[in-house]
Amino acid sequence: MRFLVFCLVALGALWMAWAQDARVGELLPREATFENPSGRLTVLNADGPVATKGHPFFEPVGTNGRACVTCHQPANAMSVSGDAIRERWRASGGKDPIFAAIDGSNNPSLPQDQEASHSLLLKRGLFRIALQWPPARNAEPEFTIEVVSDPTGVNRDPRWGLTGVAHAVSVFRRPRPVANLKYVLEPDSTPFNVKLGVLLDKDPETGLPVSMNMMADARAGTLKIQAEDAYRTHLEGKKGLTPGELAQITAFEKQVYVAQTWDRGAKELTGGDGPGALGPANLLKEQAGVLNSPAKPVFLSFAAWQKDTEFRQSVARGNDIFLNRQFWVKNVGHINSIGLGNPAKRSCAVCHNAVMSGMDRAPGWVDLGTTNYPTWTEPDVASTTAELPVFKVTCRAEAKPHPFLGRVIYTSDPGRALITGKCADIGAITMGQFRGLAARAPYFVNGSAKTLMELVDYYDRRFDMRLTGQEKQDLVNFLGVL
Amino acid sequence: MRILLAGLLAVSPVWPQMAGSHRAFVVCPEIRDTKTSPCWLAEYSGETYFLGIQGGVAEDFYPPQLEHQVLVEGEVVAGPRVCGGIPLKPVKVSVMQEIDASCHTMLPAQDGIEAPPRVRVAPDSWVKTEGPGLSTLYFDFDNDFLSLHASGALIQAVAYFKKSGAARIEVAGYRGATLLSSGATLTEKAGLARVRAEKVAETLVGLGVPRAAVSVQAVDNPVPAKGAGDAWNRRVVVSVK
Ligand code: HEC
Ligand code: HEC
Repeated sequence: MRFLVFCLVALGALWMAWAQDARVGELLPREATFENPSGRLTVLNADGPVATKGHPFFEPVGTNGRACVTCHQPANAMSVSGDAIRERWRASGGKDPIFAAIDGSNNPSLPQDQEASHSLLLKRGLFRIALQWPPARNAEPEFTIEVVSDPTGVNRDPRWGLTGVAHAVSVFRRPRPVANLKYVLEPDSTPFNVKLGVLLDKDPETGLPVSMNMMADARAGTLKIQAEDAYRTHLEGKKGLTPGELAQITAFEKQVYVAQTWDRGAKELTGGDGPGALGPANLLKEQAGVLNSPAKPVFLSFAAWQKDTEFRQSVARGNDIFLNRQFWVKNVGHINSIGLGNPAKRSCAVCHNAVMSGMDRAPGWVDLGTTNYPTWTEPDVASTTAELPVFKVTCRAEAKPHPFLGRVIYTSDPGRALITGKCADIGAITMGQFRGLAARAPYFVNGSAKTLMELVDYYDRRFDMRLTGQEKQDLVNFLGVL
Repeated sequence: MRILLAGLLAVSPVWPQMAGSHRAFVVCPEIRDTKTSPCWLAEYSGETYFLGIQGGVAEDFYPPQLEHQVLVEGEVVAGPRVCGGIPLKPVKVSVMQEIDASCHTMLPAQDGIEAPPRVRVAPDSWVKTEGPGLSTLYFDFDNDFLSLHASGALIQAVAYFKKSGAARIEVAGYRGATLLSSGATLTEKAGLARVRAEKVAETLVGLGVPRAAVSVQAVDNPVPAKGAGDAWNRRVVVSVK
């Protein structure tokens, strides 16, 4: 099966993923450019062109016809956009392997030929992540979980549910970009998770600390562990990846960079004396592991655009708001509870502080509030229109409670707590990178923000930022060129 | 530094309404916005105390949290008010674990009330180092959290252990009690001395010290509360031998 089909368009090498025609597409060139609603994204393979034929990232090496690339598409900044998923449903009549029952549907027990059974994937770009409960690493969690609302039926399913054969909690999450990974994988400069005062996890092979910044819940410390997990779950692989396949997958992942390179408003994003953070070549060039500072701000300098076209000025203002606009960051677990004070008068960059990626230098799982009541992104707790499951989490009396939500918490995704079993981690979601955002809507772990404007609106409400319409648009324009 | 300051204050009591310079109380903290950094304050017995300004985790002062009461333990400093409050120094603030929704006072910026300039001071409320092989780590009340400063001290202890070819590291954990200004005593939970010591020992092992070279001792009888200095009994002593 050919997953990627190559064709040439006026703009240069534009890739059309998922065309039915398999005449071409066995080589992902060193640089490939793709259109998206706000401009163009470029994928840069630092090690040169990648032969996709026979390559375990691009071939269906499991049992359900999927490959890694099924959900990590070059055109979508190595994630997959809601639009691309809907287009694939249309083109394949729902037969494309991306809709595989196991996690491409709301519940594997539902009739798979119906659109409604895949509504979370089609509407919000979400895949089912089933996590064993209690977690293998932590047999005595600090809390119990009850399913209080189960629109998909999967959490109460006799086979797949919490008290079913699977003993799993099913949450629904967006795929994260498999690119620019040196920024995701570079551990903090201390062997500690400075937020918690405990040591970072270690790579079982090298014994060296890992970043703990991969996946929404940091459950996989290394690319190898992650790939084996993806193979067994998303690909329903049975026999295991060979060491050679694993090496090929991780080698590919480490050398691929993505970023926007052209924007409808700002036009050319790279070259000349423009901002030094834009485009994949700059991601390749810059060093990972640098913390935001006045000398080296998160996305370097946009000074060159302060006196440029109106749109570029807007981007520069957006960058300035991101870095410098102060607001009361309040009741955020793992930010306001770690010695910074609650509230703290800070900017977006107090959390998004890693240069070039906008991630957190320390392990970045934070209870921003997207998945926990009452700050969650969902309009209603358990209405007939509710899409996500709701869990009631009750902390044991002797456990340390969640710092701002206490001992009884309603959540649509307990996040990191599903791995650690700790109350303080309930709803803590690892910050993802800011790159290639324009190519991979919807946003947030639960696909709740259909556009960057909806994402900015969430922050405006959550932290009472009182942004003007223009300021919101500046932030959106800024995020869109990354 | 700490000792010197306390000694100095003993001869010049400035706030006659309360005997002595030591204050210890549990209240809702308050945050005051300013033109620069927000200030953290606490009201007790009709008086407002200044605790510190918002900073980062590399500072000595880790601010309180609204939604939680705070245990404040400190010594009154002579001199002018800071940010509208009587300064306490040294001061240790411990966030109480359970939520208290009544703790939500945010005061707006006000002309004439300004935050002090930021000055970097040694992290005395977290670590005391006496020579390369001996350090004492201090803890918040009922807590075993290792601050950035404490974890830094452990990294240094391990580096010294390796470089000096020492044979072992002794870890001794303690728990404390606090005599409040009201006369009541707060005692840390039983078993905490061991929890602290084990945590430090595990961390040393994780940093590369052979397990057999680490000895752990825990003194779980709380050090009796007597007022000034109570905060420094919540500690773990790490000695490289
Ligand atoms: C069915 C869709 C799907 C397939 C197929 C898939 N993934 Fe993913 N991938 C996801 C989702 C969803 C996440 C986020 C999971 C989470 O956060 O819990 C993810 C996350 C990742 C991440 C973490 C990126 C980061 O920065 O956090 C990596 C790396 C990754 N996948 C690699 C792979 C590899 C390698 C394969 C093939 C073996 C693969 N994926 C197959 C959906 C998929
Ligand atoms: C208190 C910490 C914190 C602050 C402050 C913060 N964020 Fe975030 N941000 C997060 C977390 C946590 C996530 C991941 C949450 C999720 O996916 O549900 C996130 C995710 C994001 C994403 C990635 C979305 C995606 O789907 O990949 C963007 C973009 C973003 N934030 C922008 C901003 C902007 C702009 C601001 C300032 C207005 C800001 N953030 C302030 C913690 C923070």
